[in-house]
Amino acid sequence: MFHFQSFDDDCTLEEEEGLVEEEDEIDQFNDDTFGAGAIDNDWQEEHARLAGLDERVRDEVDGAGDASSVDLSLSGSNAHSSAPPQPSSSSRLYPSIDERGGGDLAESLTHLILGSDPAIAGVGAASSDRSLRPLMLSGQTPQPSALAGQSSLLLSYQQQHQVMHRGPAPLSQINSHSIWENSMGFSPVSSGLLTQKEDKTLMSIIKEVGLPNRPPALSREEGRDFSERVPPPRSSSPVIGSPPVRAVPIGTPPKQPMSHVHTQQNNHPSAIQHVRASMPLRYPPPFPERLSPNNLLSIASSPLSHSPFPAGVGPVLSQIQRAQLLNSQVGPFQRGPAPPLLQGGVGGFRPFFGQSGPRVGLHGPPLGHAPIRHNTTHLHPQHRRMLNQRMQNRGLGDHVGGRGVGDRKNRDPYSNLMTQREKEWVARIQMMQLQSTDPYLDDYYYQNYYEKMEKRQERDRDNRKEHTTKLITPQVAKLEHTYRPVQFAGSLGKLTVSSVNNPRKMIDAVVTTRSDDEEKREKQVWNKRRQILYTVEKMYSLLLEVQDFEKKFLQTPEHQRDALLEQHKTHMVQLYNSLREKEWDDRVSDKQCLMIMSVRKGKRLISRLLPFLPQPHAAAVVMGIARNLPALAKKDKHDQVLCWLVEPVTTVIQSMSSTSLTDLLQELQGSEGQLPLVLQNKFGVTLLYLILSEGERMQSSDPNCQLMDDNRWTELVFSVTRELLKVPSSALSSPLFTPPNLVSLFSRYVDRQRLELLQEKLQITSLTR
Amino acid sequence: LGHARIFTFFSFKHCVLWVIVKLKEKHLVLLRDGRTLIGILRSIDQFANLVLHQTVERIHVGKKFGDIPRGIFLVRGENVVLLGEVDLDKECDQILQRVSIEEILEEQRTEQQAKQESERLKLQAVKERGLSIPKADTLDDF
Repeated sequence: MFHFQSFDDDCTLEEEEGLVEEEDEIDQFNDDTFGAGAIDNDWQEEHARLAGLDERVRDEVDGAGDASSVDLSLSGSNAHSSAPPQPSSSSRLYPSIDERGGGDLAESLTHLILGSDPAIAGVGAASSDRSLRPLMLSGQTPQPSALAGQSSLLLSYQQQHQVMHRGPAPLSQINSHSIWENSMGFSPVSSGLLTQKEDKTLMSIIKEVGLPNRPPALSREEGRDFSERVPPPRSSSPVIGSPPVRAVPIGTPPKQPMSHVHTQQNNHPSAIQHVRASMPLRYPPPFPERLSPNNLLSIASSPLSHSPFPAGVGPVLSQIQRAQLLNSQVGPFQRGPAPPLLQGGVGGFRPFFGQSGPRVGLHGPPLGHAPIRHNTTHLHPQHRRMLNQRMQNRGLGDHVGGRGVGDRKNRDPYSNLMTQREKEWVARIQMMQLQSTDPYLDDYYYQNYYEKMEKRQERDRDNRKEHTTKLITPQVAKLEHTYRPVQFAGSLGKLTVSSVNNPRKMIDAVVTTRSDDEEKREKQVWNKRRQILYTVEKMYSLLLEVQDFEKKFLQTPEHQRDALLEQHKTHMVQLYNSLREKEWDDRVSDKQCLMIMSVRKGKRLISRLLPFLPQPHAAAVVMGIARNLPALAKKDKHDQVLCWLVEPVTTVIQSMSSTSLTDLLQELQGSEGQLPLVLQNKFGVTLLYLILSEGERMQSSDPNCQLMDDNRWTELVFSVTRELLKVPSSALSSPLFTPPNLVSLFSRYVDRQRLELLQEKLQITSLTR
Repeated sequence: LGHARIFTFFSFKHCVLWVIVKLKEKHLVLLRDGRTLIGILRSIDQFANLVLHQTVERIHVGKKFGDIPRGIFLVRGENVVLLGEVDLDKECDQILQRVSIEEILEEQRTEQQAKQESERLKLQAVKERGLSIPKADTLDDF
C-alpha cells in the first residue's frame, strides 16, 4: 500500500524552484491522463500537509494524543498490517521519487497509479465529472471486507481529518489509496474522479447520507459463509386482477404503498441523525467497546430499508422510527442479525462506526442480549422501558456465557439458513396480526392498565423532570381492498381472475324477485292443483281398498267377513260421498266432478271407480259426466284421456233403465249448443252413439220397453239427428267405434232421404276413423 | 380478548422475534404427542413450522432421561405445543440423571405397561359399579 508516510517533507512540491519543466511535464501528463484541470494547487497543498501530518504521527505512534491521532496510528498500523508488501514496493518507488525531488510528487503519484493499475491508465477526461462522485463512493463500497476496512478506515480517518483540516486533497489521497486498494472491484471511470476539487461534496455526502444506496445483494453475498445457501428467487404470481405484484413472496399479506418507503429512505439520514443525537441521553451503551447504539440502529434500519420487502417492512419501520422519535426513546438494537451484516460488506456503514468500530475489528461475537426494538410502537413507552430493562438484565447475564458460544457460532456453517429478510418476514406476518385500528377495542385492558400506571406515576412523582411520554400508537388505517373486476371495454361480462390475495366468488348468483300479484296467482293455481290431487289420491286409497276387497274377503276367516263387508260398504259410501252433491243423493256434484276430472289421475280414478259403484250411483256419475261434457272436453284437450271412460260408461249405460237413458240423452244434449260441442269431441260422439244404440237395442229387443212411453226419447233422437245433419263433417269427430244398429235406429225416425244423408255422413265418419 | 391481547403484545412480540433472532441456539420443542425434541432451530415460518438441526429426542422417565439422536427434523407447526430456548449453562447442572438409550426405552416401556395396567384396573372397577367412563376424545395423547 502506498503510504503518504513515505513521502518526506522534502517531497513537498516546490513550484518555484526550477521545476517548471517538470511541472509542465507533470501538467501535461496529468492532462493526458485526467484531462484539463486535473492539477490543483489545493490538492498539492493538502497532500503536503497530510504528508507532514503523517510524519508527525509516525513519530507519535506510541503516544496516543487525541482520538484522531489514535485513529491515525491505528489506521496506520492497520494499514501496515494489512499490506506488508506494499511498503516495500513503495519504498522501491520512493528512491525514484526522492531522486526527482518534491516537485515530482504528482508525477510519481501518477506513475504509481499507472504502474499498479493498468486499468486506470486508460482513464479519459473524467476529472470534472461531479456526477460520478457519488457513483465512486457507491462503487467503493462493495468490497472485500479487509480492503474495505482499510479504505473505510482511511475514509473515517479522513473524515475526521476533514473536520480538522478542511480540504479536498486528503480525500483524493484516500481515493487514490482506495483505488490501489480496491483495484479489483474498481471501474476506471470512478478512479478518474480522484483528484478533484469536489471532494468536499463527497465528504459531505459521506457525512450526511452515509451510504444508503448500497446494493443489498452484493453486501449480502459477501457477508455469508460459503456454506450458506442462496435462497431461490421467490415467485409471485403476476395475475391479472390481482393487486399489483411487487416482487414479494406469495402469501404475504397485501401491503401499504411503496411511496412510504421512499420517503422514509429520504428521511433516513435525518432520522438517523436525530436518533444519534438522542441516543447518548437515554442509554449508556451496554457494550461501549463495541458498536455504538447508533451503529446498531443504522445496521438495523438500513438493511430493512434496503430489503426487497420494502413495502411491508419499510412503512412499519418508518412509523416505528417516527414513533420512536416522537417518544424520544430509542433502544439499543438487537445484536443477533448484526453479525452477518457486520462481517459482510457493511463497508457502507463504516462512516458511522468511525469512532469506535474499526478499532476493534469487526469479528466480535454477537452479544445477543439487546432487545429487538422495532415494532414496539404499540407498546407504551413505559412498557418499552421496562422491556429494555429486563432485556438488559438478562442480556448482561448472558453476555459472559454468550461469548464462548459466539466464537463457535462464527464458524457454524449452518448459521444464516434463514436470511435476515426471512426472519423479518415471518416476524412481520406475526406482527401484522397485532396491528389494530382501534387499540381500545382490541386491547382494552392493556391500554387501561398503562393509562392508570401513567396517572399513578404522575401523581407520585409530581412535577418531576422526567416527562411522561404519551403513548402514540400508529393507527393503521383500514384499507378497503375492494376488488373491481377487470372488464374489457365492449365485452360481455367480467374477467374474474382470483389469486391468493384476492379470492373471488365463482358464481354470480342474482336474486330474482317476482311481484306479489304474480306470485299470488301462481300460488293459487298450485294450491288448487294440489288440492285436487289430494282429493283424488284420497279417493284412490279408498278405491284400492275396494278393489282389493274381494281378495281380502276370500282370505279372511268366516267370522270376520261381516266386518270386512261393513268396511267395504263404508268405503263405497265414502267414495260416492266425495263425488255427490251435498244434499242430493242421486246427483253428482258438478263442481267436484269437474275438479276431479280436470286431472288425468282423476279421470283414471273415475274409470276405475265406476265398475264398483252400485247402479244408482254409477248412473249418477255418468249423468254428471254427460252434463259436464263440454267442460270436460275442454279440459281434456291436453290429455285426451276421456276415452278411458268409454268402457266403464258402456257398462253402466247398458245396465241403465230406459228412463235414465232418456235422462242421460237429455243431459247430454243439455242446453242449446251443447250438442255440437259434444259432437266435436270424440268421447262425446262415442257416448252419444252408445246411448242411441242402447236405446235402439232396448226398442228392438223389447217391444214393450218404456222408451217410447213418452215422447222424450223420440224428440231427443229427432234433435240429435237434426243436429247430426246440420253439423258440418269437419266438426264431427269420429267415434271410437260405431255401433252397428244406428242405421236401424235412424231408419225409424227419419225419412229415407235423410237416412241416406245420415248414413253417408256417419259412414264417412265411420270410414274416417 | 383484552387479556389475551396483553400477553400478545408483551410476550408474543418479543418472544417471536426473540426466537427468530435466537436461531442457531439450542431449542427445546414439546410436541403434541408428548415427545421432547432438542435441537438447533434453523428455520421458522409463520405457521411455526420448525427446522431443527442435530435433533435429539429426549425421553424422560422419572428422574432419568435418555437421548436418541435423530438428525434433522421438520416439524409441522400445528403439532408444536411449545418451543423454548435451552440455557446451556443450566443444562449442565440438572437433577436428572442421564442414562443410555436402551435403559431409558426399557424404563419407558415399563412405565407404559404400569400405566395401562392401572387403567385397566380402573376401568374394571368402574364397570363393576355399573358406571362407564366415556372415551376421551382428544387427539393429544398425553
